[in-house]
Amino acid sequence: MTKIFSYILCFLMVVSCKKEGELFSNPSAEDTGITFTNTITETNELNILDYLYFYNGGGLAVGDINNDNLPDIFLSGNQVKNKLYLNKGNLQFEDISVSAGVEGNSTWNTGAVMGDVNGDGFLDIYVCAVVGINGFRGYNELYINNGDNTFTESAEKYGLDFDSFSSSAAFLDYDLDGDLDIYLLNHAVHTQDSFGKASLRNERNYATGDKLLRNDGDRFTDVSEEAGIFGGVNGYGLGVAVSDFNQDGFPDIYVGNDFHEDDYYYLNNGDGTFTESLKTHFGHISRFSMGNDVADINHDGFPDILSLDMLPEEETVLKSSAGDENVQMLEMRTERLGYHYQYTRNMLQINNQGENYAETALYSGIAASDWSWSALFADYNQDGEQDVFISNGIPKRPNDLDFIKFTSNEQIRKKLDNTKLVDQKALDLMPSGAYHNYIFEGKEALQFKDQSEKWITKDTLISGATAMADFDNDGDVDLITNNINQPATLYINKTDGKGNYLKIKLNYKKPNPFGIGSKVFSYQNGVLQYRELFTVRGFQASSEPFIHFGYPENTPIDSLVVVWPDNTYQTIKNVQPNQMLTVAKKENSALFNYSTLFTKKAPLFTKVEKNYGLDFVHEEDNYVDFNRQKLIPYKISDKGPATAVGDLNGDGKDDIFFGNSKFKPARIYYQTDTSFVEKTPVTVKNDSITENVDAFIADFNGDKMNDLFVVNGGGDFYGKMKPLNDVLYSNKDSVFVKTTLDAYFENASVVKPYDFDGDGDMDVFIGSDAVSYDFGALPNSYLFKNENGSFTPVKNEALQNIGMVTDAIWSDFDNDGTKDLIVVGEWMAPQFFSNKNSVLEKVMPSEEKLNGLWQSIVEFDMDGDGDKDYLLGNWGLNSKFKASKDAPMKMFYADFDDNKRTETIIATEKDGRYFTIANFDELSEQLVSLMRKKFANYKDFAGKPIEEIFDESILEKATVRYVHTLSSGWLENKDGKFSFHEFDSKLQLAPINTFLTYDFNQDGKKDILAAGNYFGVKPYHSRFDAFTGAVIYNAKDIQLTDKVGLNLSGKAVQKLNIVKIKNQDYLLVTINDNSVELYKLKNN
Amino acid sequence: MKRILLSLSVCFLLFASCQKEEKPIEVTSENLHEAIDQVVGIMIHDIFSPPVASRIFAYADIAAYEIMAQHDPNYNSLAGVVTDLKPIPVATETDNINYQVAALIAHMEVSKSLIFSEDRMEKYQDSLYTEWKNINETEFTASKDYAMQVVAHMKEWMDKDNYKQTRTMPKFTVNTDDPARWQPTPPAYIDGIEPHWMKIRTLAIDSASQFKPLPPPEFSLEEDSPFFKEVMEVYNVRNDMTEKGDASEEIAIAKFWDCNPYVSVTKGHLMFATKKITPGAHWIGITKIAARKVNADFNETLFAYTKTAIAIFDGFISCWDEKYRSNLIRPETVINQYIDENWKPVLQTPPFPEYTSGHSVVSGAAAKTLTSIFGDDFSFDDDTEVPYGLPVRSFPSFNKAADEAAMSRMYGGIHYRAAIEVGVKQGRDLADVVIAKLDKMTNEKIAFNK
Repeated sequence: MTKIFSYILCFLMVVSCKKEGELFSNPSAEDTGITFTNTITETNELNILDYLYFYNGGGLAVGDINNDNLPDIFLSGNQVKNKLYLNKGNLQFEDISVSAGVEGNSTWNTGAVMGDVNGDGFLDIYVCAVVGINGFRGYNELYINNGDNTFTESAEKYGLDFDSFSSSAAFLDYDLDGDLDIYLLNHAVHTQDSFGKASLRNERNYATGDKLLRNDGDRFTDVSEEAGIFGGVNGYGLGVAVSDFNQDGFPDIYVGNDFHEDDYYYLNNGDGTFTESLKTHFGHISRFSMGNDVADINHDGFPDILSLDMLPEEETVLKSSAGDENVQMLEMRTERLGYHYQYTRNMLQINNQGENYAETALYSGIAASDWSWSALFADYNQDGEQDVFISNGIPKRPNDLDFIKFTSNEQIRKKLDNTKLVDQKALDLMPSGAYHNYIFEGKEALQFKDQSEKWITKDTLISGATAMADFDNDGDVDLITNNINQPATLYINKTDGKGNYLKIKLNYKKPNPFGIGSKVFSYQNGVLQYRELFTVRGFQASSEPFIHFGYPENTPIDSLVVVWPDNTYQTIKNVQPNQMLTVAKKENSALFNYSTLFTKKAPLFTKVEKNYGLDFVHEEDNYVDFNRQKLIPYKISDKGPATAVGDLNGDGKDDIFFGNSKFKPARIYYQTDTSFVEKTPVTVKNDSITENVDAFIADFNGDKMNDLFVVNGGGDFYGKMKPLNDVLYSNKDSVFVKTTLDAYFENASVVKPYDFDGDGDMDVFIGSDAVSYDFGALPNSYLFKNENGSFTPVKNEALQNIGMVTDAIWSDFDNDGTKDLIVVGEWMAPQFFSNKNSVLEKVMPSEEKLNGLWQSIVEFDMDGDGDKDYLLGNWGLNSKFKASKDAPMKMFYADFDDNKRTETIIATEKDGRYFTIANFDELSEQLVSLMRKKFANYKDFAGKPIEEIFDESILEKATVRYVHTLSSGWLENKDGKFSFHEFDSKLQLAPINTFLTYDFNQDGKKDILAAGNYFGVKPYHSRFDAFTGAVIYNAKDIQLTDKVGLNLSGKAVQKLNIVKIKNQDYLLVTINDNSVELYKLKNN
Repeated sequence: MKRILLSLSVCFLLFASCQKEEKPIEVTSENLHEAIDQVVGIMIHDIFSPPVASRIFAYADIAAYEIMAQHDPNYNSLAGVVTDLKPIPVATETDNINYQVAALIAHMEVSKSLIFSEDRMEKYQDSLYTEWKNINETEFTASKDYAMQVVAHMKEWMDKDNYKQTRTMPKFTVNTDDPARWQPTPPAYIDGIEPHWMKIRTLAIDSASQFKPLPPPEFSLEEDSPFFKEVMEVYNVRNDMTEKGDASEEIAIAKFWDCNPYVSVTKGHLMFATKKITPGAHWIGITKIAARKVNADFNETLFAYTKTAIAIFDGFISCWDEKYRSNLIRPETVINQYIDENWKPVLQTPPFPEYTSGHSVVSGAAAKTLTSIFGDDFSFDDDTEVPYGLPVRSFPSFNKAADEAAMSRMYGGIHYRAAIEVGVKQGRDLADVVIAKLDKMTNEKIAFNK
């Protein structure tokens, strides 16, 4: 009996026991009274087949509706009645939905937001609805707060009774006239088969188009058209964020659109209009954009953006879900139809002072959070860094590949042919997408740490709309989520005294008493934190109107600067943390000077508009490496062009050679007294078939005239095809005489001349990076000895088989007076060859495992100790590639299926096991005999490590190559031994392709300019476009160049050269598949 | 006492089973139909493109045919007739072999090696094998052993058809600069499939290009150019059909002959596919209908299947050779780009270049071949597509059916007239070679409509 009793007791404890994470507890519905459940009922007439956003969930608005200083909760249901819960204190809530009159009349409710529409000091509620399809009736409802816990639905009166396909609405005062205007976010419901052109967004459509609604006091006026807001049939608006992104005093708008439509980035022109500017400010964006949020995560006073998508983190889900498009489809969507670069993953866009955004989600560790709806930034643990909560889950995964390809066929066809037929069966075949909510802890240097298992309990909820509030008035930030088929969940923050905080409520002038649009800058110990008050955030929700900061230390906040919506400001000095502060607007305060937020530095680089006649445009050819070798990790065909600077006609002026891609002629520009003139000699022009990857101008034949050495590659020519030969163009009587190194057929990557044997002529090292159609095989690199202008290879096995070479330098690393050779490359460590009596001998001055995807090397005294250190450009860390010394990235290279062709399979480590980067379809396409018979479906394949995908006997055949680090960094010289140091985060956001040595700041010491970015990867990887370029002065002083006049983000820089024009030094930037750029350097 | 009884009965049972008389296993043309239907079902599940599907039919049929022909003097071996095929091994112990059983086993085994979902095939085989074993284990075992020898011989031949090599050849690179060239089409924008199919070893014709058709009308947007007129014809036909409504005969024809193994449907984030048989499988289905109508026996049925499958096989190679040579843009792309952004064809455009129409070539080839077997004016009720929710259609002859199948591609909005007309001719021309080569095979010409 006692046993039974204790069982019952135990059971009851488990049931009633509230769940606990380390940071948040989840009091139960019974305890709080919040029993609202957004119950979704699937019927034959209405399910995800009929309405694409059937699983998007309801809305959620939190705010103090009765001004008793306790935030109340409004939850909208898709098919169930809305609920309003009054906060009675002590986390007790009372359902007053019926008496308040807010249960709602629309058939299908979506987002719900609170804002003081009529400016009377009481929060009103706006509830969006989908109307006009599937028999959905009603309209967007506006509940005006009567001030006595009752509301009057007044949408028609205010002109807000839209019967369209609304997702959510955001409050902002875009015209700074003092009242709150509304941005209405709508979504398309048609699921047109073809993309259509991007220009579709220009034709307005009532039901699907977003709307900007100007508050004219007692009515709202649709000003979308005149304000420049798109409203087309392809807007799938799911996320909206308002923020003054460019800090000019006017609120701007970021709209996240699902599917192929681009997100919209509306910059407020300050005259009542907006300019959509996505493409000029973002390198790439999320593809299936869902909710988003904005916060300054790097303490620079500019808001950064997190846009959510649906990339799964877990291998089993990842490999059984439809993922990225293929290369050619992306090309069509971008180049032919006019859309921007979109990729399926979360994007963290770091705001570079309004100029452009550097996307760092992969580097930051928050790229994949599965089927994500809402993101809310806040300092949940109150340590001074912004954390982020991401709500997650979908009842059914409609992109499950087994469902798409195998199971759906029979069941769904019936449904389509005859809508009367029951077809729950088909839907039941889709796997559940109930996936836990995520919470990430913000760290320094743009890093986030997944704390989902610690801070919260891993749930199986399907959570959508999420809002923030301080429900228990203890100063830390609590959360609530609206869930599908489960009661809403409260997340009560238990940080309490463990961190330090400041909670600020604003008291602004009517009709915007809550001060929506205000900004607060907080400075503690020189650290800036910045927040704006916009309550509509995340997804289909609005949060309690307050501003919250966490602080690492319980020391006074030096100053708080509050900038009001009218751009006047007031400063409060010496504020104690750990208090709730109400700041009221002071009369006659001065206007805030936004220019103080922007870095002001004298530019080191000044763009030369017409390039002095250098009109060279490098054009890549149409060759797609992945069509030939479907599994290789990146292209080998886009490493050009070559650039060489030198005097080619003996007039003392710098001339320039630009190589080109295959079938496109190289160009030579001769400098005249006034400009550059293109006058390519016929010998060079006739060699247009070759792809010129590197070149050098020097006197190779000792006749005191400069010659041109060009090395060729391109990855398309193979075997003993002549276009792979490297060529010396000897300058004789102003014509070029061609000498071909006709016995050597390699994809050259670099040519580095040096008289290594001291016999007075220029010898050359030519490095090669890959073997065409045989990626993973080692090409041959050669040291050629110059004998009277003819070149013969020096026998040196170690050098010849060194690996997949990308760059090399001649540098006297052993300080014996002759230059030695250092070679870097991919899937290899930097290799040192000591020049001893004209023999290059391999030495090992570093014991570290340093295989990388090295792209570039330069000599530089980084630590100022007088010896030679070496800077190394690598792939960077903003990538899906993953490598460490303990868990290196692996390349398996073999003819796996015995068909006389090799395959290259890349695998990276995840939780101690190695998984292929390629998915089932990619592997099957290349290895049909090994894959399709072995795995009947995607489920069988997904989640399996590589040794379960391939039999041991097959894997054993493979040569394995490794990468131990992807970080760019430098080798510190310690008495001839080298140890590696990583650069900091700003140099890890993209591959660094090239370095240039020059005294840029004219302080008498050499500096290094680093540049990079790379796009030769599949859409799986997205684009590495975030590197603006950097000037490296020393180990401690590295400056991104966009602040000094050189912004190279979005450009795949291949070469940097100094060109002397009329005794002034200029920087020449050569960019793959783009025009060259010329910058005037600081006076010298 | 109880115990004695029990052991007695066990004894009796054992005795009885030993004594069971072994009758010969009887195999009819229905077994063959059923085995082929089984493979068709698996092909649909596994999603084979039309050319690849044609290879499965042909090789399974040839393996079975060779065994049958070795035994039946009315049929001659295809060794030396179809490219590179060597005579199959002669059975050493012929006493217990049932050649029809062996032929059927070889058919199923070859099919199994070419599809992916082997378990489905095995399940079917196991039930048959158990049944046969029960009837006559000696005969079954001998037949199976021999069938497996032949299958091994066939596999060696099949392996050299360049199929494996073409799997790892480059994907098709879309030429985005030339407006005349093919582009991937909505909604899935799939890469061009089987761009190297012309490199597959042909069976009866000399080479992929033996029946190289005239080039298509030159791409032009000039109003009175032949090409543009053909574009406008597709556009107008579709518009006329829209006016006539969903019940129009043209819609019925287009849908009946769709034969698209993988139609992808996208509803927001929800994606799925509706799958049907391929054009080749449809004509294999018609072969079944015809064979049944004339009560063809096992050997006659197998001959009809084999001959038709060879014509279809070569038809795809010939057609694909031209497709990736002319690499012509589909009507949907041209119309969306230059004429009407919202225009949609009735059928989903298949993922490969336009010219010539695959269904037209294959229908022309299959119909002519079937006519050579069953005669002209052979009327039939085509219920092949019933399992896929489509009605029965009746035809007065194979050639009339082929004409309709070809024309269905224009109604479907996926082909211009030239691809259809030239395509049917291309198919019929190459069928002549198949017919000539295979008619010589039979000592006694089979003509059921005599």
